[in-house]
Amino acid sequence: MATVSNWIDHLNKPAEEVAGSVYPGAGSSEFILVLLLIAVWIGWSVITDKSEREELDRLSRKRHSANDHKSNITDW
Amino acid sequence: MTDQLGALTTIFTEFYYWVTVVLMFLIHVGFCMYEVGASRYKHHQHTLMKNTMLIPLVTVTWFLFGWWIYWAFPTGPGIAPSIMTESTGLVLGGGFGGNDLANPTNALMAVNLNDHIMGVFWAAFLLFSWTAASIVSGAIIERITTFAFGVLAIAIGSVFWSIDASWGWHFDGWMLKILGYHDAYASGVIHAIAGGFALGVLMVLGPRIGKFSSSGEPRNIGPRNPWLVTIGLFLIYTGFWGFYAACNVPIYDLGPEYGMEGVTFWTATNIYLTPTTLSGITMNFLMSLSGGLLAGYVIAKGDPFWTYSSGLAGIICASAGNDLYHPIQALIIGMIGVVISYKLHYWVERKFKIDDAVGAVAVHGYAGFIGLVICGFVLNGYPSSGYSVGAMFDGTTYATINPLGQFIGAIIMFLVLGLIPGYIIARVLNGMGKLRIPREVEIAGLDYEMMEAAKDDEKAVSSATR
Repeated sequence: MATVSNWIDHLNKPAEEVAGSVYPGAGSSEFILVLLLIAVWIGWSVITDKSEREELDRLSRKRHSANDHKSNITDW
Repeated sequence: MTDQLGALTTIFTEFYYWVTVVLMFLIHVGFCMYEVGASRYKHHQHTLMKNTMLIPLVTVTWFLFGWWIYWAFPTGPGIAPSIMTESTGLVLGGGFGGNDLANPTNALMAVNLNDHIMGVFWAAFLLFSWTAASIVSGAIIERITTFAFGVLAIAIGSVFWSIDASWGWHFDGWMLKILGYHDAYASGVIHAIAGGFALGVLMVLGPRIGKFSSSGEPRNIGPRNPWLVTIGLFLIYTGFWGFYAACNVPIYDLGPEYGMEGVTFWTATNIYLTPTTLSGITMNFLMSLSGGLLAGYVIAKGDPFWTYSSGLAGIICASAGNDLYHPIQALIIGMIGVVISYKLHYWVERKFKIDDAVGAVAVHGYAGFIGLVICGFVLNGYPSSGYSVGAMFDGTTYATINPLGQFIGAIIMFLVLGLIPGYIIARVLNGMGKLRIPREVEIAGLDYEMMEAAKDDEKAVSSATR
């Protein structure tokens, strides 16, 4: 996985020939990483939407008193 | 970086943009404080989290496609040829159908020993994206779902503002060539579009419960924490300074860039690679801020909320031409923008029952629009680019800055890429039942469940310590 195993060998070339990418899996993993990021994004959005909907449904079913909002104050 | 001068130039540029990114982070801190201060107590925590979560959502999508859009769309596509490829198609290249610069799978989109600029430049633009989304966030507080806001934030932050920046905030953008569009510090490309987008969403979302009486008279729902609002706006001013610096290229030799043989002219440039100075724009920033504050204080009769917002609106209005204006011109333009925006805000509120909770449409949308139009008159005849000078609608050369081009540009920003997409997306979300929170929740407060849980926790702790 290591792209660089010896900095002296890696940098011991003319500057324009030094390979720029030094992250693990350079040149072979980028596409998979992008797919992974898309999965994280979509997955997070689905989970968040579901939990928010459940919370809003729960709250809207509750019989709120007219004074509920008065004790609902963030103390900061 | 084969010689010391080249290395110094590169490392200085890298550090310069890095500093601007850190400064611009304060814009978001300011927006969070401002929005929480403007919201009612029962919605505080949700308001804060809504604005905070746009950071990861816009960042992820900016990495995936927002940055790519900026580099791919300067030709329209199909409107004016690129000076790089001489084609009117998308600027592509590299694997995966993406352009070389910003394809998320590209080697430059990571730690790369041969590149010191891509990451900080990407980040500077990303912070602009957060700002665009955050502007929308303030207008719609207390009644939108977090999910819907996330979708809208991605739309404005990683798609529509990126398209407009590619068209009108890029040295190769078609709006410069066809219209002579000029918008150095983003009156239009960030503020007018975000204000227009917010207005489009508000038209569908509707007002907060109780905002309008049964006879249609608007009621004031003022800020609940004036200190948070005050500090928030001061932080936004501070971050805006960083934004101004981030819109510049700090050091550039324009002689070879413009093809002038044997000419060396090192200077800072704006985003269009035309010369300006960091020194001059600092004066203009402060003078337009002052103009906004002066006018706001008078027209709002000393109301702190509107006076602070007017300072921001003053800068926004002068921003389109602040790379070239005289400081006194910047001040006067800031004053004009504030007066018109303030009047428009209340007229639209009464006439169309639009509830813009923080005045974002006025401060960003109207002031940005007006700033673009004024810029067309004041900078009439200046070149929009250094590469060539030509006529409007030619396309192969760059038109000069002119009132008509700026007016059309303002329409594109506010209406075409702002209001219309905002309206359509909000309609779709509304149709899916995902746009607005239920009425009962809005009345009881979005934080109700969190606060009930907190009370239970307190009771449990109290009983355990008896």
